[in-house]
Amino acid sequence: MTTDLRGFRPQHPTLYQLAPDGESLEFLFAQCPACQKLVFPADVPGCSHCGDPLHGARKVARPGGGKLLEYVTLHVPLLPGMEVPRIAADILIEEGLIEEGVIAAADESALRVGMALRAVAVALPGGETFACRFVPAAGAVE
Amino acid sequence: MNNWIDDNDGVYVAGIGMHAYQFPSETPYTHLGLTAVRAALADAGLAWPQVGSAYVGTTSIGMAAGRVMLRHLGSSGLAVTQVENASASGSFAFRQACVEVARGVSDVVLAVGVDKHGDARRAADKEGLARLSETANVPAVKFAMMARTYLRERGADAASMAQVAVKNHGNASRNPFAQFRKPRTLEQVLASPLVAGDLTVQQCCPRGEGAAAAIVVSGRALRRLGLDAARCVRVRASAACSETPETSYGAAAVDLVRASAHAALAQAGIPAQRLDLLELHDAFSVEELLYSEAVGVCEPGEGAAFLLRGDSQIGGRCAINASGGLIGMGHPLGPTGIGQIAEITRQLRGEAGDRQHAGASWGMAHMIGLGSVAIAHVLSRATA
Repeated sequence: MTTDLRGFRPQHPTLYQLAPDGESLEFLFAQCPACQKLVFPADVPGCSHCGDPLHGARKVARPGGGKLLEYVTLHVPLLPGMEVPRIAADILIEEGLIEEGVIAAADESALRVGMALRAVAVALPGGETFACRFVPAAGAVE
Repeated sequence: MNNWIDDNDGVYVAGIGMHAYQFPSETPYTHLGLTAVRAALADAGLAWPQVGSAYVGTTSIGMAAGRVMLRHLGSSGLAVTQVENASASGSFAFRQACVEVARGVSDVVLAVGVDKHGDARRAADKEGLARLSETANVPAVKFAMMARTYLRERGADAASMAQVAVKNHGNASRNPFAQFRKPRTLEQVLASPLVAGDLTVQQCCPRGEGAAAAIVVSGRALRRLGLDAARCVRVRASAACSETPETSYGAAAVDLVRASAHAALAQAGIPAQRLDLLELHDAFSVEELLYSEAVGVCEPGEGAAFLLRGDSQIGGRCAINASGGLIGMGHPLGPTGIGQIAEITRQLRGEAGDRQHAGASWGMAHMIGLGSVAIAHVLSRATA
C-alpha cells in the first residue's frame, strides 16, 4: 500500500517529517545538552530525563518506529469526530520514551507485544496532509 | 514521630452531606452544592456563621464557583478557596481543610466538592505540544491498556475483571446517593457494549454531576462547641504525591497508589490489614484489582482472588468501595473524593443502613487524578 506522499505536508511538523522514500517517517527529537539523551518531541520545554531547559539543544531526526508495548481497539469515539474502530498502542520509540500511536491495521490479529513497528505516512482526507501511523516493521499491513 | 494531623487536639469530620450523583441535567450547580453543604451543617449541628473557611473542589464549573454558591448561605466573610486537581479535586479540598484545622488557622472548615459535567478541557491539551495520537490524554485508553496487560500477564479472563463492576453496582444499588441504583449480573456486565479494549461500558464510570460536603473541626472545637463526639470521625493521616518515573512499563499508576497509600498508613501508624473499609479510584474495573494489591489489603497478585473469595464485599475482610465506587456511585470529579469521606464517615458511625460493614473501625479514602497525582486519607472512629 505504499504511496509516495512527497509534496504533502505533515499534520504535526514538530513531530515527524517524510523520509526520502516518500512513505516512511522520521521522528524529530532533541538531544539534551546536559544528559545527552533524546527527548520527544523536539520542542518540549524541558528534558524528560534530567529537567534541563534544553536551550540550544541539537535537533535529531531518526527513523520513526519502535517496539510495541501494548495495544487495544477503541470501539467508541472517545473524542468528537474520531473514527472507530481504531487501534491505539503504546510504543517505545526511543530508550525511555513511550508514546501512544495509532496502528494502521484492520484488526489486532497481526499484532504482538514486543514486535518492531515502523512509522509511515498516511494521507488525510483533502489530499494535502499526512498523518503518522504505525505498521509492523516486517511489512506494511493493509 | 510527630504526626501533624494530631495537632490542635486532632482533626475530625463532624458533619457530612450529599446531593445524589446523577446524569447531567439542567440543575444549577449552586443547588447541588448548597444541598450538600446544608445537609453537612445540619449533620454536624453547626450554623453557617460558625464556619471559618471553605475549600471548594471542582473541575468544570468555572472561575470563582465557591463564592457564587456560598453567598446564598449568608455573606459571613469566611475565606473561600477553590481547588482543582482533576479526579482528586475534592480529596485535595478535604486535605486543605485538614491542614488548616491541624495548624490552628481555623477550627471549623468546610470542604465541599461540586461539579457539573463540563467540556472536559484539560491542561494537557493546552501545553503546546503535538502528540502522535489524539487520544494520548484520554484516560479510558490508558486504563484499557492497563487492563489488557493485566489480563495477559495474570492469565486472567475478562470475567475476573468484570466481577469488580458486579460488586460495585451491587453496592451502589443500596446507596441512595449513587448514580446507578440497579444491581448487575456478570452476564450483563460482560454483554454491555465494548468501550476500549476489553472494558465494557458497565466497567467504566459514568459521566455525571453532584455534590458532597464535609465539616472538618479541631478536637478543641469539638469540645468547645459541644458537638456529638460519638458521631465525629477522626482523620488519622493525609498523604499526597505525584508521579515518578515508572519502574517498568505500565507501572506508574500502581507505583503512585502504593507510595501514597503506604505514606498514609505509616502516618496513621497501622498496617493495611487493619483497614476495614477502602474507597478507591475504580473509574475502570481493572484499577480496583491492581490498587487493592498496591494499598496492601491483599497480597501482590491476589486482587482478583480477594474479590472472588468475597473478601472485598461488605461483610468481608475489607469492604472495598462499599459506596459503589466510581463505577456504581458515580464520578462527578469535584465531589468524588469528598463522597468517599462521607461514605467512610457514615460507615464508621454505623449509619450506613443495609450496606453497613459491621464493626468498621478504620477506613482509607484513596484517589488519583489526571497527571498523575494521588492522595490518601485514613480515618477512624474517634475511639479507635
